[in-house]
Amino acid sequence: MMPEGVALGDLERDALTEIVNIGVSRAASNLRKMIGDHVILSVPSIDVVSQRRAARLITEREATDLIAVRQDFTGPFCGRALLIFPEANSLQLVRAVTQGELSPEEVIEIEREALVETGNVILNSCLATMANLLKSSLSMTIPELLRGSGAMLFEVDETSPSDGLVLFLYIDFAVRRLDIRGYIAMIMDLPALETLRALLDDFIARVVGDDA
Amino acid sequence: MPDAAAEAERLLAMLAAAGASGTWDWDIVADRLRVDQRFAELYGFDPAAGLADLPTARFFAAIHPDDRPRIRIAVAAILAGAELFSKEFRIVTPAGTTLWMHARGQSHLDAMDEPVRFTGLLVDVTERKRAEERLRIAQSAGGVGSFEYSDGFATATVSEEFCRLLGLHPAQALPVRTINGVLSDSAVPLIPEPDREPPPETLDHVFRVRRADDGGERWIARCGEILREGSGYRLVGVIYDVTRAKEQEARLRELNETLEMRVASVIAERQEAEEALRQAQKMEAVGQLTGGIAHDFNNLLTIIIGNIDTVLRRFDPATDPRARRALENALKGADRAASLTQRLLAFSRRQPLAPKRIEVDRLLSGMSDLLTRSIPEAIAIQIAPAADLWSIEADPHQLENVILNLAVNARDAMPDGGSLTIAARNVTVGTEGEPIAGVPGGAYVMIQVTDSGIGMTADTIAKVFDPFFTTKEVGKGTGLGLSMVYGFVKQSGGHIDIDSTPGQGTCVSIFLQRQFDSGAERHEDIEAPAAQPGKFSETILVVEDDDDVRAYTVGILRELGYRVVEAHDGAAALRLLERQETSISLLLTDVVMPQMSGQDLAVRVGAMQGDIRVLYASGYTREAIMRDGRLEPGVDLISKPFTYHTLAAKVRDLLDRVQ
Repeated sequence: MMPEGVALGDLERDALTEIVNIGVSRAASNLRKMIGDHVILSVPSIDVVSQRRAARLITEREATDLIAVRQDFTGPFCGRALLIFPEANSLQLVRAVTQGELSPEEVIEIEREALVETGNVILNSCLATMANLLKSSLSMTIPELLRGSGAMLFEVDETSPSDGLVLFLYIDFAVRRLDIRGYIAMIMDLPALETLRALLDDFIARVVGDDA
Repeated sequence: MPDAAAEAERLLAMLAAAGASGTWDWDIVADRLRVDQRFAELYGFDPAAGLADLPTARFFAAIHPDDRPRIRIAVAAILAGAELFSKEFRIVTPAGTTLWMHARGQSHLDAMDEPVRFTGLLVDVTERKRAEERLRIAQSAGGVGSFEYSDGFATATVSEEFCRLLGLHPAQALPVRTINGVLSDSAVPLIPEPDREPPPETLDHVFRVRRADDGGERWIARCGEILREGSGYRLVGVIYDVTRAKEQEARLRELNETLEMRVASVIAERQEAEEALRQAQKMEAVGQLTGGIAHDFNNLLTIIIGNIDTVLRRFDPATDPRARRALENALKGADRAASLTQRLLAFSRRQPLAPKRIEVDRLLSGMSDLLTRSIPEAIAIQIAPAADLWSIEADPHQLENVILNLAVNARDAMPDGGSLTIAARNVTVGTEGEPIAGVPGGAYVMIQVTDSGIGMTADTIAKVFDPFFTTKEVGKGTGLGLSMVYGFVKQSGGHIDIDSTPGQGTCVSIFLQRQFDSGAERHEDIEAPAAQPGKFSETILVVEDDDDVRAYTVGILRELGYRVVEAHDGAAALRLLERQETSISLLLTDVVMPQMSGQDLAVRVGAMQGDIRVLYASGYTREAIMRDGRLEPGVDLISKPFTYHTLAAKVRDLLDRVQ
């Protein structure tokens, strides 16, 4: 079960969704510049769930194995960010971002690099936007590529009674008229989430003012 | 920049023509808002004040207060660099009406990727919102989840209720494999797997599922429509929980099945009862037949035995020893015929009880031969009567039958051998003696037949005295054995008790009342050999419809020295009696006669001459002189066939009895 008080309020969730939207918009703009083609990214919704539940959620939604780009971040709130795709979509994405000029063999060859680079652009944009709008700064590690099941990606430890929390974001990519579904997950501990929440509340107060 | 303004004007007009309820153009750099005519009407702006160059804060003016913070945040994101704006919110019109709007907008970036303009349009989605609300309530209130699947896709669009029914996390789209993963039996998929199967014939199907969240087993029904679209198809349908109906169906089916079982058992019971009835009817028929034969047969045997007896008595053995041996053999054969008739009567239980004083120990030791012959060697028999047993009064032959019957039952309860004990002891029941349930206080001789056999359950014991109840195979037992035992014991004024434990054995106790030594002992020794002569002063009236029997009877009595008058039926006897001057000492009458029975005659004769003694002769006595199967008190009977000696003794005994 999720601890009482950790669940984000409606406005906090809206605010975070919009902040991430700004981040992915920036990422889309960067990607457009990289590949010179139409890229739209949007984040329709967001959830705060336990690691175990996150693993189940993604397993229920995705039939195939997953592929993920992982980056750790530190700052006022620390954690681990993941950009996750169904493995079946990864080659499509690589082909899209490499402008369809490569042979299938070449696509496989550069798949890793292309995915890491794309993930880095998106995660960086998101985290940087968050830090910027929340008036704080974050530093990030070098991206890594992972493959595996939901439980593996979310480091679910069945023997451990405690369960970390995951900010779970759905993300829609539209690249070259291809619809690719993906997820951004940010694994944070409780103090980090509380800090994030306080920063969000400040942001809401600034934006909404008297209407809140 | 009039060109830009004109361009914006033209754009807004186009959007309005496309069905938008209002359009806006937010100049981020100048921080001013421009709206179209419809937008202004919705928001209640005064058109005279102009539709361009409005403060941007007015964008939020008509938005429902509950939705305003959310929209402020979304707009803030656009101003900070987000590209797409797609929000639903309520606005309150100047007339006070609340309308749902879907606002779609986009930010426009300059060369530095900085947002400069934010344009968009409002579409009235109130109708759609209401329809969605109705659909949502219909689904949650009705427990119906909807789905839509397009041929070839890996995911299906589902409703929240759909996910809830299957125990999945709410989502708008789920992979087909995830949905089918909840099925307990995957023979028919809930949603067809892409590229794997031809379109289903029908969506009507019931599935057993294991809910993903709590693992609960449920029954889910699916129905809907298959819509053909070009070469492919689309499935639109609903699912709902039918577990309760399924469970009720199962219960009903189970009830039905047990009903069949119950009917079958009642029918079997009825068949058993019918079988028992058939058996009883068979016994009844045999009994009637036996009785009828016995009557005529005994008359014939009386004639045969009587006449051979007469010849033998008058025959000088010295003259022809061979002829005498022949006669004696003939007599032996006739005696055997007589005992056969007797056994037939016993078998058909037409025999009247003739209670006599019995010493139980003597009776038991007299039976030991018979018992040893009837019981196989694997069973150890012990016959153990206590010393100094009291006397009882009962029909000795019937008591023997009862003991034999119980011994045979005990034998049948021990197919693999065991031990059988027949014991007898004196018992005083009551406050001063042993309290025994169901046996009133008093002094009894208790005869106990104990076996180490299979025993009986309490249920069986409860039914064991019921007529026709038998644990033996059909045709092997009549089901009358123990009921006859019971009948005999009750008829004899006694009590019976059964104690049994399955697997350990059975003990049947018979309590027969002690007979005190009061009054004269009646030793009716039928086989008494000495022929006692009569006197001519003693007149005997013989009434018998069989001429040969009558002639034989009259012959014996005359030979004994009595004066004899005879009649062939009751009416003739009464006429004779009216004319008779001297009194009649004894009426010897057949029991079964046409027109007037022996008993009717005895009553009429008694009315004419009070002190007359009556002796009945019968080969088959059914009810005429019996009450409850016993001879009435004061009634004397001589069984046919009788011999010279038995008749002589019986007549003498009666005439000499002190009245």
